[in-house]
Amino acid sequence: MSRKLSVAIVALLISLMLLLLAVYYGKFSMFGYIVKYLPLVLDGLILTIEVTLFGIFGGLALGTLLAIGDMYGGKAISTAIRLYVEFFRGSPIIIQLFIFLYVIPTLFHILIEPLTVGFAVFALNSAAYQKGYVKGAMEAVFEDQMTAGLSVGMSKPQIILYVILPQALRIVIPAWSNEFCSLTKSTAAVLVIGLRDLTAVGMTIVGQTWRILETYVFIAVLYFVWITAVTKIADVVYERKKIPGIEISV
Amino acid sequence: MTSTVMESRHLWKAYEAHLVAVKDVSFRIREGEIKLIFGPSGSGKSTFLRCLAMLTTPDKGDVFLRDVCLTKPGVDLNRARARIGFVFQHIWLFRHLTALDNVELALRRVLKLPKTEAKERALQALREVKVEEWAHHYPAQLSGGQQQRVGIARALARNPDIILLDEPTSALDPELTGEVIDTLRDLAKKGTTMLIVSHEMPFAREIADEMIFYDEGAIVETGPPEQFFTNPQSERAQKFMIRLIKKTKRE
Amino acid sequence: MLGGVSTTLAISLLSLLLGLAIGLPLAFIRAYQRSSSFLVEGFEKIFRGIPEIVLMLLFYWGIGLYFPFPFKSAFFTATFVLGLRSAANQSQIFRGAIRGIGEEQMVAARSLGFSKLRSVVHVMAPQVFIFATPGLGSEYALLVKDSAYAFVIGVLEIMYNTNVIRKATMDPVTPYLVAAFLYILLTFPIATWLDTWGSRKKKKLGL
Repeated sequence: MSRKLSVAIVALLISLMLLLLAVYYGKFSMFGYIVKYLPLVLDGLILTIEVTLFGIFGGLALGTLLAIGDMYGGKAISTAIRLYVEFFRGSPIIIQLFIFLYVIPTLFHILIEPLTVGFAVFALNSAAYQKGYVKGAMEAVFEDQMTAGLSVGMSKPQIILYVILPQALRIVIPAWSNEFCSLTKSTAAVLVIGLRDLTAVGMTIVGQTWRILETYVFIAVLYFVWITAVTKIADVVYERKKIPGIEISV
Repeated sequence: MTSTVMESRHLWKAYEAHLVAVKDVSFRIREGEIKLIFGPSGSGKSTFLRCLAMLTTPDKGDVFLRDVCLTKPGVDLNRARARIGFVFQHIWLFRHLTALDNVELALRRVLKLPKTEAKERALQALREVKVEEWAHHYPAQLSGGQQQRVGIARALARNPDIILLDEPTSALDPELTGEVIDTLRDLAKKGTTMLIVSHEMPFAREIADEMIFYDEGAIVETGPPEQFFTNPQSERAQKFMIRLIKKTKRE
Repeated sequence: MLGGVSTTLAISLLSLLLGLAIGLPLAFIRAYQRSSSFLVEGFEKIFRGIPEIVLMLLFYWGIGLYFPFPFKSAFFTATFVLGLRSAANQSQIFRGAIRGIGEEQMVAARSLGFSKLRSVVHVMAPQVFIFATPGLGSEYALLVKDSAYAFVIGVLEIMYNTNVIRKATMDPVTPYLVAAFLYILLTFPIATWLDTWGSRKKKKLGL
């Protein structure tokens, strides 16, 4: 199974390289114009990837903390977490970006750089979703594993760290790769706060060359390849790290 | 004079107003003794056992492990539980760890043994229950009987003062109970202090020093196994034994 | 501001329906018609693998140039894009529901002589619909939030109006907070209601 997936990834990467080569050599002459913009595209892609990675891993760390806090923190903390989650899950990312760009600086008289806004919002947003996945996974293993852990004399924090989280984090992987897809797609929104991500670069190229359809198709393909590749990698990781007896809880 | 290993004094535990699992139970088990608690299901036997290990907190009364009172506030329960071995009906091995790691985990994290020593002791424990060839398998890859034996090894590895077993064979298929019972027999021969909740009667007759009939939250009758098999003193115990013998005759 | 609400709601509901109209059949095709299922898989991968904003830009500015007929309207484009994205999502949701219901229902229907199509229509579809209600609830919420992307191509919904108000009043705080509040108001109650209606119906039918 994993061999099939590795083959798929390699095929994908090879086809991407072929595409770029073809473009470079003007085979798809209609795409040839892109060549001089490639450095710009690369910059945009890098920014998009940066925001995505920071968001997804920051979200995982924060989400795990929120899940633990929700399970053990007591009423006040749980309510605070609930409000946090409702806000970030109930409002569009664009609004959240604007709130961090305009509202918070105004209210607190501080200056926040757009780049920081981008990183912060995506991490916080993702954390709100990931908290739900991690908590669900933890609850799936929780009861009996906690009792078993107590019976050998481990303390609650030890049990969470060595018994519950290792299992929960494996169960979470499928939902997590889903979250990765959603996150990547929503990073396109950072163009509204002025960050030069891949989509913004696309708009710039369109503005300069008036090759509208070709450019956007090109950008779309780039996103598509990136998302599909990472999803396949996540699948492979899941297969490798899977432990017999611990499966997906839907 | 052999010392008391565990003791409960006037222990109470209720789940709702009408569901009293432990009613003013006072009990004592000494070093090297093997006692077996049996009775109708739902009578509260498992709850009582859990209270002894403080896996469930009793409402009233005291629990003693040797001379340490576990029900006093401020007691380090984790330390105490490290000295008690517990075997569960549904086994509850750590699913994400191999058999070896399952046993080793507490040795490293609770007793803080260095890695090599912990591994050695864990292997030794697995050897005692005769599953060392599966040391690197995950629980899901083992049969129920093998899993439970690993569970026993996990409880044994810390050299606890006593082992509490909550219906260790009830969740297993009949063909698999034999291997678990053999393991317990070996432990008995070595003089391990054990308190078992079970209804494996032939086994009880063979190794228990004392049997305890537990019904509706309280200890109704205690005595050597022969007493229950030939002449139970209390009416409820009589009724229970008759039903049990009828059932075994039918099988 | 409130004018934007009606537009937002319109986009969300229309794309939900479009997604339903396309997604439900797709799910059944993928489940029961092995030969065509890779086509459906391809569709899903494309519409879940490309950002909505990029798709909107692509269709509105790009394809709109060649087919001004539908795509000149930003409103149509936004609804179209979100509808297809939703179809891809819903195809997944319904597939999960089909799997959850199990094959017995289908087998029973076929044994009575129903054709594949009729079994689906009369037996599976109603059950799948009820089973999938929570998933639909969250899909609806997602659509409401993603409708904000439409502001990038100029649709006059909540997000667009919010910015207009901010520029007009020079107040950077209130418009956004009000907008956030509006969105939460639009997503939360209906999603929760769908959830509870769904679980009650499920229990009643023993699903």
